Amino acid sequence: MFFESIKIMFLGMGTVFLFLTTMVYMTKIMSKLILRYFPEASKTPASASQSIAPTQKINENAKIAAILAALQHHHALEQEGKI
Amino acid sequence: MKKVLFSLLLMFTISLSSMASDTSADTAVQITTDTTVSAEAPHKSTYREETYQPMDFKDMMINFYHTTGINALIHPKEGVVTSQGKPMSAFHQTWGRVIMFGVTFLLFYLAIAKGFEPLLLLPIAFGGLLANVPIANIAGPHGLLGIIYNMGIANELFPLLIFMGVGAMTDFGPLLANPRTALLGGAAQFGIFGTLVGAYALSQFTPWFDFTLQQSAAISIIGGADGPTSIFIATSLAPELLGAIAVASYSYMALVPIIQPPIMRALTTPEERKIRMRTLRHVSRLEKLLFPLLVFSMIILLLPDAAPLVGAFALGNYFKESGVVDRLSDTMQHALINIVTIFLGLGVGSKLASDQFLVIDTLAILVLGLVAFSVGTAAGVLMAKVMNMFSDEKINPLIGSAGVSAVPMAARVSHKEGTKDDPTNMLLMHAMGPNVAGVIGSAIAAGVMIALFK
Repeated sequence: MFFESIKIMFLGMGTVFLFLTTMVYMTKIMSKLILRYFPEASKTPASASQSIAPTQKINENAKIAAILAALQHHHALEQEGKI
Repeated sequence: MKKVLFSLLLMFTISLSSMASDTSADTAVQITTDTTVSAEAPHKSTYREETYQPMDFKDMMINFYHTTGINALIHPKEGVVTSQGKPMSAFHQTWGRVIMFGVTFLLFYLAIAKGFEPLLLLPIAFGGLLANVPIANIAGPHGLLGIIYNMGIANELFPLLIFMGVGAMTDFGPLLANPRTALLGGAAQFGIFGTLVGAYALSQFTPWFDFTLQQSAAISIIGGADGPTSIFIATSLAPELLGAIAVASYSYMALVPIIQPPIMRALTTPEERKIRMRTLRHVSRLEKLLFPLLVFSMIILLLPDAAPLVGAFALGNYFKESGVVDRLSDTMQHALINIVTIFLGLGVGSKLASDQFLVIDTLAILVLGLVAFSVGTAAGVLMAKVMNMFSDEKINPLIGSAGVSAVPMAARVSHKEGTKDDPTNMLLMHAMGPNVAGVIGSAIAAGVMIALFK
């Protein structure tokens, strides 16, 4: 009866390794197929510069607007004689 | 002052008891007249017959004392049954309960002061406290804990719901980037099957223990370092050991940072610990989306008995990776898993009743669980060394120990041990691969056991 537990150990470890080995190979095949036929659109440097440029412009505009608003506020305070 | 108060109280009690004896006769008459009226009444009345028997105030006090916990803990009674309906020994009714109160307070201390897996140990400990309350029978079939246990643990529902939440929290990216590391998660399952042999040998060759093969299997699953899987298997193979198995499982999971490092360092050289691994590639969204389906398809073909566990896990992960049901995946990751954790903890706590926990088997379970954990850790590290013999691309053996499931604690331990020898060596993401593979591995091991012992 004790050997029953050893048999279970071999069967169990065998199943775990069989499953995981199959999983490893299937995963590798799946990844290869996906990278070949459905590659994710990677960002090239050219497209990156195009996509960054407008946001940079927006940032610049936002900065200018903020500076102008601060100046106006400062002037208004000066006129009220608070500073 | 105290004497005066005591004498006043005594006078008050005597006067009350005399009043009670005077009025008791009147009330008795009242009751009898009422019953005669109801007996003469031809139509059906909703009036219930009075069952309360009037008594002296002294008798009332004595009867009330007999219903207190103090009396129940001092004077064991014949005919008290456990939550399974078996007669309860005098020791388990008295000192056993007191010892279990101590055990639950120890668990409180570990959970709150030491931070040992508080999310589960605290509900389990409080459940244990409730389960040992005398007279109230909270762990019985009609008590709060009994109802919770029958609602979701006896039918194995709660562990599966937890698995759903764990699946929704898991990122298979590191495993997909380096699939080979999944084998480390497989090797760590040797902790389970090695302990199965050990536990069964113990019961075959020593006079003190007498575990059946099913019980040995349920104990050995602790080596998988996977709480929900342990509870799932213990419920189906050896429900009588559930309390001890769950406590051992979660306690050792919390002790991963203490148990694993000495074993890892003993089995590796400083050069091996400094091995740097290649940066993981970027994994596309489609790969992550198809992976749970791939695993589940394989389960369908190879081991349908593991389908409940792996299916729930794959479901949670698929919802997360689909990206279109964020609300549902968010619920699984937070609200659902939290609610189920409360119930699971309390339900498991019901098995901490003194009659089930204070047996010599519990001691064996705690020792065997520790052995299972250590063997699993060692097997993972050694597997990495074996793989390095046959491959040019070296694996740092420290990530092998993460093959035990305890996610993400085991991966953090691997990373921490690696930085001790080389502070710039980033092993965390590499260790996450075997770590999540360990969850799949222990689910497969559980499936094998279910298939064999069905």
